[in-house]
Amino acid sequence: MSEPAEFLALALVKAAPLIFAALAGVLCERAGILNIALEGQLAAGAFVAVAAAAATGNALAGLAAGVLAGAVLGGVLGFAATRFGVDQIVAGTGLNLLAIGGAAFGLVVIFGQPGASPSVASLGAPGAHLLIATALACAFALHLVLYHTPWGLRVRACGENPRAVASAGLDPKSIRLLATTVGGALAGLGGVYLSLGELNLYSDGMSAGRGFIALAAVIFGRWTPLGATGAALAFGALSALQFILQRSGVPSELMQALPYLAALAALAGIAGRARAPRADGVPYVE
Amino acid sequence: MSWIRPAVFAAPIALAVALTGCAGSSISKASMRLGMVTDIGGLGDKSFNDSAYAGLKEAKARLGAEIEVLESKSAADYQPNLTALADEDYAEIYAIGFLMNNDLAQVASNYPQRRFAIVDAVVDRPNVTSITFKEQDGSFLAGALAAMVTKSRTIGFLGGMDIPLLRKFEAGYAAGAREIDPRVTVLVKYVGSFEDVASGKELAGVLFNSGADIVFVAAGKSGLGAFDEVKARDHDYVIGVDSNQDALIPGKVLTSMVKRVDVAVFRVARDARERRIPRGTLELGLAQDGVGLTDFAYTKAIVGAAAIARLARLRRAIIDGRIVPPSTREELAAFRPVALR
Repeated sequence: MSEPAEFLALALVKAAPLIFAALAGVLCERAGILNIALEGQLAAGAFVAVAAAAATGNALAGLAAGVLAGAVLGGVLGFAATRFGVDQIVAGTGLNLLAIGGAAFGLVVIFGQPGASPSVASLGAPGAHLLIATALACAFALHLVLYHTPWGLRVRACGENPRAVASAGLDPKSIRLLATTVGGALAGLGGVYLSLGELNLYSDGMSAGRGFIALAAVIFGRWTPLGATGAALAFGALSALQFILQRSGVPSELMQALPYLAALAALAGIAGRARAPRADGVPYVE
Repeated sequence: MSWIRPAVFAAPIALAVALTGCAGSSISKASMRLGMVTDIGGLGDKSFNDSAYAGLKEAKARLGAEIEVLESKSAADYQPNLTALADEDYAEIYAIGFLMNNDLAQVASNYPQRRFAIVDAVVDRPNVTSITFKEQDGSFLAGALAAMVTKSRTIGFLGGMDIPLLRKFEAGYAAGAREIDPRVTVLVKYVGSFEDVASGKELAGVLFNSGADIVFVAAGKSGLGAFDEVKARDHDYVIGVDSNQDALIPGKVLTSMVKRVDVAVFRVARDARERRIPRGTLELGLAQDGVGLTDFAYTKAIVGAAAIARLARLRRAIIDGRIVPPSTREELAAFRPVALR
């Protein structure tokens, strides 16, 4: 493979799980729920997919189960945030610990070995390529949904002013719950991409902070699907560049810190204004 | 004053437990307890931590020890885990991994009556045995092997994190290749994590695509990704690390540079049982079989008898001190191939 082609391929491979998680983050935050449990949803999606693929011998069943696991975690976050009005940072942190610890425990219970699962039926290279294409398609789909459908308008309204949504006779809590559930499913799909798309196993810690880089992509992309996807692609390209140029003078630690620096720069107002949805992370109380 | 009552009741119970505990240990030695705190990679890495665990299980089987393992999910767990074990009556407490060195030094000072051992680091306390390995010696042989087997005159090294410990592997490996053929190119990449399997796979792909046909993988669980990557490639191979990983993909893992953490863990357990004083430092190299290559169970046909014989001569030369493999990049830069006879 020529070097530019290899770089582009690697950038897409690195970006795909970030895109899924970042889109999940955008959808949740536009609805007013701060989803810092993206990391846990990636891990849950990755683990449950592997467990289901091992149980059924079918990678597609694994995919469905992984997406469902992400949706359940997203739903739990949404439920806790809307029905009980809990602090979303606390709930998200708890879910991260639950998902990552639960997967570690699940490895022992299901596979009888800690640390990493054995190899299971995977989606293979064609499946991985299809998932990368799906990630990009999801970006456009979410853009259309958020900006060109009535439900999208309601989601965005929930993120800005849920009281106005309620006064229009709609239930902001239900809209938020659905948004976090769909968001969780998207992040779960990102986890499936990692465990069954790129690889064929689950290993403790394999999400490796991608959920948090995705949060940075949400901010850098100014809470829009296409912006966040662009940011995820940029972060993927940075990783790819870091992989290829390693030890050519630029410290790799600096390159690994760049996504967070970029998010900080966006928040600090460099290159335009970045504003979170007004009601982002604020519980809606009637 | 309701809090006094439980205390009054608890004191005699604690005393009784303590007394029976003492009596038990002086009558029967069968109940020696061994504790272990793993590094973040944890059990299941099919590598470093698992090797330590194998040594612990051997102590259970052969010395009748009771064993307990606490896994660390982050660096913040080291001290609580070590303290939790030190609070109880363990004959030896193992800290697996150099990252624990500061926390262990602290805990060892707080519990001078307990014995500790740490792998891959030197902790200067009277109650600590520091277990280290000459990784550069075993890696030297791995590099020599790779240089003899490569068809593309390009070989790769994939490390977990760019830290001095992993540079011992890197420097030894590159020097071993240079010893065989100075024209062999050694490409070096680091994942930046011991847990990021996907990145391990991607970086292995980068190395193979850059022309390397053999990659020495010293990256903990990230290395599992490199093993996955080599499966799909017909003419490429990997070299495993720490544990014997040859059977993970039979025929595709040329050999493994084993670090017999299990041997060291078992030795220290035996010391504890025989109540010998902690050893201070226990450094294991080729001579003690602390490091070395596996027996090419699946790859003899690829490697060839001549190469295996040459590796044996190199091993002898290192043990005799005629070859001193470098352990840092600076030493590597100064390393010149040694003419044997």
